[in-house]
Amino acid sequence: MHRLFWKIFLSFWVALVLFAAATMFTASHYLEHTRQQEEATGPRERLQNRVAEGQRIADRAGVEGLKAWLRDLDRRELVPLLLLDRDGNDLLGRPVPAPVAEHLAREATRPWHAPFRPRLRALIRLPDGGEYRLVPDYQGVILGRVIARPRVIALPLILAALASGLVCFLLARYLTAPLDRLRRATEHYATGDLSTRVAPTLGTRRDEVAELARAFDHMAQRLQELMTLQRQLLSDVSHELRSPLARLQVALGLARQRSDGRADSEFDRIERETERLNDLIGQLLSLARLESGVTVAEREPVDLVELLASVASDADFEARAAHRRVELDGTTPATIQGDARLLHSALENIVRNAVRYTAEGTAVTLSLERDRGKPDRWRITIRDQGPGVPEEMLPLLFEPFVRVGDARDRASGGYGLGLAIAQKAVRLHGGEVVARNEPAGGFSIAVVLPAGPGSS
Amino acid sequence: MSRILLADDDVELTEMLSQYLAGEGFAVESAHDGEAALAKARHGGFDLMVLDVMMPRKNGFDVLRELRASSLMPVLMLTARDEDVDSIVGLELGADDYLPKPCNPRVLVARIRAILRRAPTGDTTIAGQEAPQTLTLGDLEMHAGTRRVTCGGKPVVMTSTEYSVLEALLREAGHVVSKAELSERALGRKLTRYDRSLDMHVSSLRRKLGTLAGGEERIKTVRGVGYQYTRS
Repeated sequence: MHRLFWKIFLSFWVALVLFAAATMFTASHYLEHTRQQEEATGPRERLQNRVAEGQRIADRAGVEGLKAWLRDLDRRELVPLLLLDRDGNDLLGRPVPAPVAEHLAREATRPWHAPFRPRLRALIRLPDGGEYRLVPDYQGVILGRVIARPRVIALPLILAALASGLVCFLLARYLTAPLDRLRRATEHYATGDLSTRVAPTLGTRRDEVAELARAFDHMAQRLQELMTLQRQLLSDVSHELRSPLARLQVALGLARQRSDGRADSEFDRIERETERLNDLIGQLLSLARLESGVTVAEREPVDLVELLASVASDADFEARAAHRRVELDGTTPATIQGDARLLHSALENIVRNAVRYTAEGTAVTLSLERDRGKPDRWRITIRDQGPGVPEEMLPLLFEPFVRVGDARDRASGGYGLGLAIAQKAVRLHGGEVVARNEPAGGFSIAVVLPAGPGSS
Repeated sequence: MSRILLADDDVELTEMLSQYLAGEGFAVESAHDGEAALAKARHGGFDLMVLDVMMPRKNGFDVLRELRASSLMPVLMLTARDEDVDSIVGLELGADDYLPKPCNPRVLVARIRAILRRAPTGDTTIAGQEAPQTLTLGDLEMHAGTRRVTCGGKPVVMTSTEYSVLEALLREAGHVVSKAELSERALGRKLTRYDRSLDMHVSSLRRKLGTLAGGEERIKTVRGVGYQYTRS
């Protein structure tokens, strides 16, 4: 079940054991080797050779030469060699270990010609009459001394590091490669492509990562099904709601044919309300579509000035019937990449809303300029001369069917879905919609759109 | 009296619509699934088919595709209101026009009349009374009476709507015809925003006629304005 757990556990364990074993083996091997060397030549002869060498240096260079020779020896040799004067002090001032001092003291009490152990003449005499004894300190071969001499343990250390490094590298790669594939798949999902599957790329793997990949694939498949379902639901709802509407419209036409113009104004009214209902269903569907992300904005060059002008002229035509105007107030040439139809409906919704609230006899003004804060963005401002919106309601303005809460809105039917649709459509273009009460009076909604590549 | 085939799976709707259209002076017959519609349409005798996209057994697109293999009978597609793709697909398959559903029956009648006006079996004198009988430009010949087109001597099969679009462009060859004007003259209705009908008809005309001898496009798009038939 927990294959990956055991893989990680075992490989770390094995790597550590291998590393420790290799270190211990090489260190002990080296020590063994040193000892064997000592025994091959015999410690006695070796010491004798050292003493002769020391004596030659003492004769030629005196105390200073002796000190330099001793330092060099200490660096080279694993077994420390002490050079003690008559009082038992080391020439280089190194501390004399207790066992060595005891040994010397014992020896001093014995006669020179003890029969069971011939005395070693390990004396170096200086020209000035000083006398030193060369004493090897075998017990001084401690780990610290081994480590302080890198030349001795460098090779085994490097080998152990390489071996464990290789193990860890392979393990890390084995673990992260499928995670990378999962990440790439997630990125695909984020862009809306839910058809990517990860598990088949992992071959015969049977561990936690493979299980994760399978769970992932399952999730993607479920999402895909839900998306299809959502799309199906949208079109079903559209069909189910609109079939009765279609019948209603034909029935209305028939009634009109047969009434010989006696109830035309009533029929006009019914027709208008039917059309309104139809629009509302359309808006609901387009909002649902925008929210579900089913709609992906088409990308084509959209001339914002042209778009704004056409929205303004259409809205002006409608507004004049209610003694209001819609005016274009300052534009600058701007083209963006986007879905002209979506942007048109977004702006139309905002402008319609503004016309509804602007005071009678005033104008709604539309302007287009480069955003002052961010020059890579276009700012379209739709401003009305209405009573504005309470500050605390501003963030809620783009929620579907929000009511600002005074009688004015109930009379005019609230904000409906128009602003919610506008915001979703603008966001689909990477833009933002900002509403605010103007300090000088009136209310404005700004549509900020990123100027795509190739814009002037 | 024009005979209309009404293909829609909504029985109540077709009943009422039949009555309404009868009141407007049409003879109407209806079919409630794709296969029945196709069988009736192939049997002939209709001047126009009103074809709903959503139908059981065979959807509207399939009916249109199979019908177009053998017949140029004028077809008005009824498409779902929020599916722009449907209208484009329909026009691509050779529909003469489309109307989003639900629609006002008055608009439906206006569209039917506009299509019938340019159909060859209709009263041709309405469309081409003052027009010369044959329109010729380069290798292209249009015979107004029979509404037949030959290109380089070979006959080109096209729907009556495509014929009308081509005729309007050819009469103004060398000049740009605005989309608004083309829509009124060829489709018999005002241009609406984001209506792709003309683009689709023009692109199928391009496909059917091919390029001029020099490889030049016969019908050029003048961006933001309209179309122009190239006078070589």
